[in-house]
Amino acid sequence: MHELALAEGIILNVLDFARKSGRHIVGFRVAIGEFAQFDKRLVKELLIELVKGTELDKANIIVEVERAVIKCLYCGSKWGFNRLIKKLSDDQKEMIHFLPELLNSFSKCPTCGKSDFEIEKGRSVKLVGVELDV
Amino acid sequence: MFEPDTSLDFREGMIKRKLERIRQTILITSGKGGVGKSIVAATLAALMAKAGMSVGLLDADVYGPSSAFIFGVRGLPKEDRHGLIPPVSNGVKVMSLDLFLAGRPLLMSGKGARQIVKELLALTDWGILDCLIVDTPPSTGDVLMTLIKAIGNRSGSIVVTAPTALSTSIVRRVIKILLAAQVPIFGVLENMSYTASSKARPLTHSRGKSLASEFGIKFLGELPIDYKAAEAADASDIPSLLQTDFAKALLTSMKNSNLFTTKTKN
Repeated sequence: MHELALAEGIILNVLDFARKSGRHIVGFRVAIGEFAQFDKRLVKELLIELVKGTELDKANIIVEVERAVIKCLYCGSKWGFNRLIKKLSDDQKEMIHFLPELLNSFSKCPTCGKSDFEIEKGRSVKLVGVELDV
Repeated sequence: MFEPDTSLDFREGMIKRKLERIRQTILITSGKGGVGKSIVAATLAALMAKAGMSVGLLDADVYGPSSAFIFGVRGLPKEDRHGLIPPVSNGVKVMSLDLFLAGRPLLMSGKGARQIVKELLALTDWGILDCLIVDTPPSTGDVLMTLIKAIGNRSGSIVVTAPTALSTSIVRRVIKILLAAQVPIFGVLENMSYTASSKARPLTHSRGKSLASEFGIKFLGELPIDYKAAEAADASDIPSLLQTDFAKALLTSMKNSNLFTTKTKN
């Protein structure tokens, strides 16, 4: 699992934002998309470890899971990860853990059967908010 | 709680950190399909590896990935806590979407292509490299835009064309896009200029040379139509590919650039 690389990317991103804005950051919020299939607690532990010794040392870190939403571009129907995951092999789960868009190569819309769909939400890890000192 | 805009994409920090360990990055561009970008990218990577350089090849042609096939690598890349480990073939670290797809078709939107290219750039753990070669897809669409934004300021481009007016008309647009984005252009390569067997020229004059001169860019050289190179690529036979007239002409052309240097050691 490549949680460490992603967690480092998030911290670099927040530190860069702090430098550019010239503001003190008191907290930040990270969303883990369901497609990433990461352990929320492990990601939070990594983030806490990585901010040690930086200006984010005392920052309030919130990690939440973003539910996946997949939308068919052909018929407009939407479906979620739970409905999807039951039909996937271990290799397929591994593939979408890296590159969620690969879902189109082995899955179909449960309503119309087309493979023309996109991931609206929950694709990967992202920084969703930064709390600034007022 | 402040809501960040899209400029706060954390993958950009990851990409920057990965590129800091890579001495030079070369985008193999054209805009035109069928001019031989992928075989140029693969052969160049293999030539550099043979010359003792540490080299990576990123197949960013997500619509028609071919690098994994040419280098004969397959199977999902291994993963560690730092990212994806590219398989190595003939001294070249290769990362391609086809390692995941294994020949399956993939319907992909422009938005999806952007995400995949960004993810491959951010997640691939190349280590320390002398050179990362990036094979780009035809067109001036989402992938080229993503590459220019993500790594354009830390790379340069070799532009590949064919000796036809049609190819030149499309490649000219790519050169303008690269120059406008301030991506350095190392030079223009003309492929399919003559036949390897008889040295005959199917088309009478080199439009690549005049195209390069039009923009004040270095003309790196002409490459032949070489069926032996095509056969070697079909057989994933890199040692044979490097023995072809195509590879020899590419090596000669690249000696006109300053890109064949080794400084970094793993």
